[in-house]
Amino acid sequence: MLKKTFLALSLSAALAGGVQAAAVSEEVIQNSFFPYKNGMPGFSGLSAGLTINQANVEQFREVLDPGLYMFIKNGATEIKVGETTDFALHQSYIDATRQYSGDVTLGEGYGELSKTVAGRPFPQEPSMEDPRAGEKLAWNYKYGYNWGDSATISPFYWTMRDMESGKKERTIKFDFNFLNFTHRTQQTPFPEITPNPSELFRGIYVKVLEPFDVKNTQLLIHRFEDDTKVDNAYLYLGFQRRVRRLSSGQTTDAFLGTDVMIEDFEGYNGRISDMKWVYKGTRNMLMPFYNHNEMVLDSETHQDEDGYQVVAFGGKGGCFPNITWQLRKVYEVESIPQDENHPISKRTHFMDAQTFTIPRTVVYDRKGDMWKNWIIGQAHPDHHLPVNKGTGVSIDDAFSMIDIQAQHCTTGQFKGIVDPSRSPADKFTVQNMRASGN
Amino acid sequence: MSKTITTTSTPLAVAVAAALAGGLTAQHVAAADTTWAGFVENATYHRKDVGISKFRNTAQAEFETKFDSDSFRSLRLNGVLRGTYDGVYDLNDDEFGKDAQQDYLGQDWHSAGTATTTIPGPNVPILSAGVPFPCENDPTLCDNLDGYMDQKERDARFPEFNDRLDFIRELYVSADKELTNGDVLSFRLGKQQVVWGKTDLFRVLDVINPVDYSRHNIYDELEDIRIPQWMLTAEWRMGPNQVLDDSNLSLVWNFDKFRPSNLGTCGQSYKILDAGCFFSSYINVDKLVGGPYTAPVPIIHDVEEPEWSLANTQLGMKWEGVYGDATFSVNALTYRQQLPSLHFRELAPGTGAPATDGVFDIKFPRVNLLGGAIDYYSMDMDAVWRVELAYTEGEELPRDLDGHKETDMLRYVIGLDKNLVIPALGTSSAFLISGQLFGEHILDHEADMPNDEDNWIATGLFKGWYMNNRLSPQIIVAHDFAAKATAVAPSISWTPDNHWMFNLGLNVKFGGDEQFPWSVAGFADTYEPLARFTNGPIGVANQEDEIQFTIRYSF
Repeated sequence: MLKKTFLALSLSAALAGGVQAAAVSEEVIQNSFFPYKNGMPGFSGLSAGLTINQANVEQFREVLDPGLYMFIKNGATEIKVGETTDFALHQSYIDATRQYSGDVTLGEGYGELSKTVAGRPFPQEPSMEDPRAGEKLAWNYKYGYNWGDSATISPFYWTMRDMESGKKERTIKFDFNFLNFTHRTQQTPFPEITPNPSELFRGIYVKVLEPFDVKNTQLLIHRFEDDTKVDNAYLYLGFQRRVRRLSSGQTTDAFLGTDVMIEDFEGYNGRISDMKWVYKGTRNMLMPFYNHNEMVLDSETHQDEDGYQVVAFGGKGGCFPNITWQLRKVYEVESIPQDENHPISKRTHFMDAQTFTIPRTVVYDRKGDMWKNWIIGQAHPDHHLPVNKGTGVSIDDAFSMIDIQAQHCTTGQFKGIVDPSRSPADKFTVQNMRASGN
Repeated sequence: MSKTITTTSTPLAVAVAAALAGGLTAQHVAAADTTWAGFVENATYHRKDVGISKFRNTAQAEFETKFDSDSFRSLRLNGVLRGTYDGVYDLNDDEFGKDAQQDYLGQDWHSAGTATTTIPGPNVPILSAGVPFPCENDPTLCDNLDGYMDQKERDARFPEFNDRLDFIRELYVSADKELTNGDVLSFRLGKQQVVWGKTDLFRVLDVINPVDYSRHNIYDELEDIRIPQWMLTAEWRMGPNQVLDDSNLSLVWNFDKFRPSNLGTCGQSYKILDAGCFFSSYINVDKLVGGPYTAPVPIIHDVEEPEWSLANTQLGMKWEGVYGDATFSVNALTYRQQLPSLHFRELAPGTGAPATDGVFDIKFPRVNLLGGAIDYYSMDMDAVWRVELAYTEGEELPRDLDGHKETDMLRYVIGLDKNLVIPALGTSSAFLISGQLFGEHILDHEADMPNDEDNWIATGLFKGWYMNNRLSPQIIVAHDFAAKATAVAPSISWTPDNHWMFNLGLNVKFGGDEQFPWSVAGFADTYEPLARFTNGPIGVANQEDEIQFTIRYSF
C-alpha cells in the first residue's frame, strides 16, 4: 500500500511538471468519478438480498437490460441483488483527468482526438443534445482505467457450453496480460513507456496453457495512439513454432472457437473509428458488480496456494455467473459497425458511469435480431486478492458470452492480478512470443 | 488437461540446477512446478491398390520444469519424448518391409522405361530394382550405405529407438537474464528445433534442423518431422529503440554431429523422390558390358558423412525486428547440405564408365546461406504479405554427365494470408485463405540438370471452422509447375472435447509423369534415374493416393 501511495505521489509530481491543460472543474470531477457521493440510487421494491426471477421480473424490467430481462423471464436465470457500492478509481487517474482533460476535443472525423496525456478525456456529463456524445463516451472507455496501467489474468478459464444440455464442451486455460504504453498514471513510468517509436497505446498478450491441441498458441495485439490505424495483431501457433501476422478479419472471428470475438474483449476491443457511436441515455440499471470474496466460488475448476477460487456458474446450461447485481448509474451507448460486412449490425453497451467499464453488452446480428449477450462481472479490488487492494481497478472477474440463437455460451473464470512485475513491456513483443513458445 | 507436479529434487532437475548454478554457488536455484502434457495417437492410412500404408502409433509426452532462481528472470527445462510403432510392416508386409520386392526400380511411380525394362539376352534391366532394407538383404549395400539410409526394418517399425536417441525429441534448458538497461540475454542449450522463416510446407530459411521425410513425405507438420539437434542458441533481445518497435540478435550453434535429412529407406512406405530405392539398386553393367565388371555395380559406393569436429559444426545468426507494419529478419547460416550430393566415381579418368565397386559417393557439402524474411500487413487489402528469400553458395545439384555440380541457388517464397468471414458458407468464423508461391532459381544451371533453371511450386490453403472450432474442414492444394504434378489434400477434423481428436483426410496426386531426355539407357526420354528430380516430391509420389484417418487422445 505504501508503495502504491508513493507511486501516486510520484505521478502528481510528474504531472505537476508537465504540460498543463485547462483545469477541469471540481464539480465535474466529483460528478464523474463519485456519482454516489450524494447517496445510492434506488428503485421501488428493489433492495439488497432480493432475488429477481420469473415471478417478479416485470416489476423490475425498467432496471434490467433487454437481454437480462429476457433470460430471467424465460427462467434461464435469476439474479440476486446486492448493495450498491463505491468503485472509486485510483486517485492518480482522477488527478490526471483533473489536470489534462480540460481542453480535450474531438477531431472532425471518427477516431480523431486532440492530444491527450492521461485520465478520462471527457469527464463532463453526456448530453442528448450532443450528436457526438456517444463517441466521447467511447473515448472515455478506451482511455478508461480498465485494468489500470497493467494487469494479468492468470489463470483464465474459458469454457464452451451447450446451453440446452449444460454439457461442457471444451475448456481453454489462458494467461492474459495487459499493458498501457501511454496514458499511464499509477505504475512507473508515467505517462508513457519509452522508446515507443510506433506510438503504441496498449498491448494485449494472450497465451494458451491448455488443452494440448492449442497449447502455446499466443496472441499479441498492439493498439496505436492513432485510432485510425488498424491494430497490429500477431499469432503464434504452437505446432508451427512461428509468429504470423493476422489480418483484422480474424478479430471478428470466433476466438479459438469460443463465442467471443477478439473485438469483444473487455466489452469492446477495437478502434473507435470502426463504429458509429450513439448515446441513448443515462439510466440506473442492475449491473454485475460485487465483492468476489462474498460470492459462491468454484472449488473444482481452480485451487491454488493463494487459496483463490474462481466464481461459480449456474443457471441454464451453467451459462450465468453466481454473482450479485447492484443498481448503478449507466450510460447506454450503441456502436454500429462502419463496415457493412461486419458480422453484427450493432452492439448496445451499458457503460458503468463511475468506472467506464462495459459490464453488459447486447449484440445484434446483421438482421437486427438479438444474437449474443455479454456479461462481464466486476469485482471490487478491495475484496479480492490482497495484491489488488487499493489499486482502484474494477476487476473483470467472471464473464459469459451467450449466443442466444445457437443456445451456446462461453464462460470465463478469472484470477485477475494487478501487479506490474507480471507484465513487463518485453512481454508484449513479437520476440517474447517466439521465445515463449517451444 | 496437463498435470502439474510439484517437484523439489528430481535428479534431472537437480542436475540442471547444479549445472546452471555453477559459479553462482551463493545463488538460489530450486525446481518448482513441473507440468506434463502429451498424447497418444493412431494414424492409419490406406493407399489405393496397395492397402495399409501406415499404421503408426505414437505416444508423446512433453514436460516443463520452471526453476526459482535469484540469477535469472526465467529458468526452465523442457523436454519432449516420443515413441512410435508403425505396424504397417506387420500388417502389409507384402508391400512394405524387408520382403517387399519390386519388379523394377521406380515401380511405385512410373511404368518401366528403357532403363528398367528387362533386356532379352542378358535378361536383366540396366538398373536393378532397389533392395528393400538392404541391411536385411544385402551386406554389400548395407556396408556401402553405412550410417545413412541403412535402416533395418526394426528401425522403421520403431523409428525413435536408435543410437541417436531420437525418442528424446527435445531436451533443453532455457535461461533469461535481464540486463540493467532492460535488454534481455537469453540462452537455450540442448536438443531442440530452431525455426527460421515464414513459409508453410516448404523450407527456405527453415533449414537448421534436418527433416525426416520418411514419416509422411512433406505432408506432416514440420514440428513433427524436424530432426532436433543438440544446439546452443543465444539471443540479445533489445526491445524497442527510436526506430524499431522490437529487435533481437540471435546466434545458433549446432554442435551436434551432422545429420542429413531422412529420405526413407527402400521398403518404407514413404521414401521421398524414391531416393532410397535408387540408392539401394545396382547397375547391371557386368551383364551388359563385361570387361572389368564381374558383378553388378552398386549405385552407392560410400556415404561420406562428416565426422564430428569443431570445423564441422554449423553456425547461424539472425537479426530480426519490427518496423511499423512490417516484421523482418536477416539471416546468415553456414551449414551442411542436408540432401545427398552424388559424386560420380569413374573407372578411369576420361572413360565416363563407373568404377567397379560403386557408381557414386554420397557427400554433404558445406553451404553458406544469406537470406531474410519480411511480412507486412496491408490495411487496404486487410491481408498479410509474406516474402522469404535465401541465397546459398556451395550446394550441389545432380546432373547427368558429371554426377553433380556446385551452384549458387536462390529460393524465395511470396505468400498472402487473409482471414475472411463468408456467411454463405454457414459459419461466423473467418476462413483462412492462404496462398504461396515457392520459387527456385539455379544460378549456374546446366542443360543436363534434371531440375529446371527456374521452377515454382504453388500452394493454397482454405480452412474453415464450424461448431465452435470443433469441426474444421480444410483443403490444401500444391502444384509443381516443372513436374506438372498436383497434390490435393482435403480433410476434416473433429475435436469433440479437450481430449479427443479425429481427422479424416484424402491425399490425391495427379501428374508427375515427366521424363528426362537422357539415361543410362542412352539418349531417350525415360524416367530413371534422373526424372525423379524433375518430378519432385509431389510427382514421384503420384501413385500414393491415400485415405487417412487419425485419432488422438491428448492429456
